[in-house]
Amino acid sequence: MATDAPESRAERDGEGTADADTDATSTDAPHPSFEAYAAESPPQAAVGAPGKDGVLELRFAPTSDGTKLVHDYATVPFHVSGTLGHDPHPDAETVFLQSPTGGIAQGDRHDVTIEVAADAVAHVSTQSSTKVQSMNANYAAADATLSVGPGGHLDYVPEPTILHADSRYCQDLTLELDTGASAVLADIVVPGRLARGERFEFERYLSRVRAEGPDGLLFEDATHLTPAEGDPTAPGVLGEFTVYGTLFVVAPDGDAAALSDALHETVADADARAGATALPNGAGVAVRALADRAETVQSTLHAAWDHARRDLLDAPAPSGRKY
Amino acid sequence: MSDDATLEAFRLADSFLPVGTYSVSYGLEQFVADDRVTDATDLEALLETYLRRQVGPAELVALRRAHAAAREGDIDAICAADRRLAAVTLAAEFRESAQQSGDRLLSLQRDLREDDLLERYADAVAAGDASGNYAVVLGVAAGLAGIGARRACLLCCHGFVTGLLGAAQRLLSLGHTDAQRILDDLRSVMAAAVDDSAGRSIEDMTPFAPLVDVLAADHERAERRLFAS
Repeated sequence: MATDAPESRAERDGEGTADADTDATSTDAPHPSFEAYAAESPPQAAVGAPGKDGVLELRFAPTSDGTKLVHDYATVPFHVSGTLGHDPHPDAETVFLQSPTGGIAQGDRHDVTIEVAADAVAHVSTQSSTKVQSMNANYAAADATLSVGPGGHLDYVPEPTILHADSRYCQDLTLELDTGASAVLADIVVPGRLARGERFEFERYLSRVRAEGPDGLLFEDATHLTPAEGDPTAPGVLGEFTVYGTLFVVAPDGDAAALSDALHETVADADARAGATALPNGAGVAVRALADRAETVQSTLHAAWDHARRDLLDAPAPSGRKY
Repeated sequence: MSDDATLEAFRLADSFLPVGTYSVSYGLEQFVADDRVTDATDLEALLETYLRRQVGPAELVALRRAHAAAREGDIDAICAADRRLAAVTLAAEFRESAQQSGDRLLSLQRDLREDDLLERYADAVAAGDASGNYAVVLGVAAGLAGIGARRACLLCCHGFVTGLLGAAQRLLSLGHTDAQRILDDLRSVMAAAVDDSAGRSIEDMTPFAPLVDVLAADHERAERRLFAS
């Protein structure tokens, strides 16, 4: 039927031979006149086209009834169902981002803006892992800008990013902190669908985290992996481990040295191989964790997050449960 | 390169240079304590990671910028490269070691050479406008001495590797021949690290060795240790 032009089919339909044609070709077209179309595979939507240019905007502000989500705008693949009120901190507001898609595809360009106003406390996470799908053309990219006003606090702790075979993904995360503001950021990368034996088969992964305070750049961290060019399992890189994550506790007004020691003690005997160190420019603490499974890295970083949140906000971290 | 520049390069590359190389191991001590480095083969593989993942994509990028800026007398660009290198070096011990060695080299150069740029740079470090990282001080010193940028990068790699080989001789039973063999074997890796740094702006520093960072974090709290890092 691939060689059948729609015109000729319409002509025969007019002659009442449609039944015979339907028998000869077995497609699921809703009507014989659509069969020729069914064979055509649609070209993919263009780079950054509608549906591939997801935008997410969230703005949190304090009210007499605690922090509220005062502005939200989301286009595919982002979806916001509303807020959740289960944070152990009495004033905090929670948003779990959802995605109605199967993940990030080639040509996707996502843009995330999250603003936390002065003295507001917000927690943003994703409902499930972000899957970066296999690619044979172009790449996918996501930009996130997170800003926290004076005295505010943001926890941005998404579920891990899973890099499928042949994927190419670039994510840039910029954190802007005002005076007295703090934030906790987590970034965990899983280098393949591990349960099916896929690991380090992606093509390129670049994740940059940049934090700025009122006086300029605080620190920048980059994870740049191209397994075909440089072995990610080399000694000192990931070594014998597979999954890698970092928790950044950014609190320029805190006592970074003391918090670094406390967080190191929290994670030193955890299941993941992990350690904490004071960030440059008195920005806070970075906790790095390596393990064989995403859950192990998550639970280790969660323990550090919990400790840091008690230190910064006098409240424990929310449980990691998403269902 | 003039004889003066060549001799200056030899002096800066010599382990005799009093910049406290004997006190730093950049996490190597912890790799030995963890039984991750037990022989010459392990050591060479780890040194390759340092060169490819840390020295090439970060230190040499800052060194090149500082070198070019010193030639142009651009103190602001030197300070910017210096601050940037500190901001991308997440392991606290590594920043401290790099700044201590940098401080020693800077004061040594100021004792030996009369140069307005060195004085202005030292003032910027004292005022907190620059971090005084070793790679940046070395870049400035090499630039002022007329040592070419690529030679200065190779010099930095050579100094880094010989420093860690010296540390390894105290941490492991590593013979002199093994140490020289590693230094010889790593030539192509040093050249590759220098190549990697060539096309990068200071905005594109991407050191990446998370397991080194984790072990350096353990080292910060180790009870018994020979080295400051």
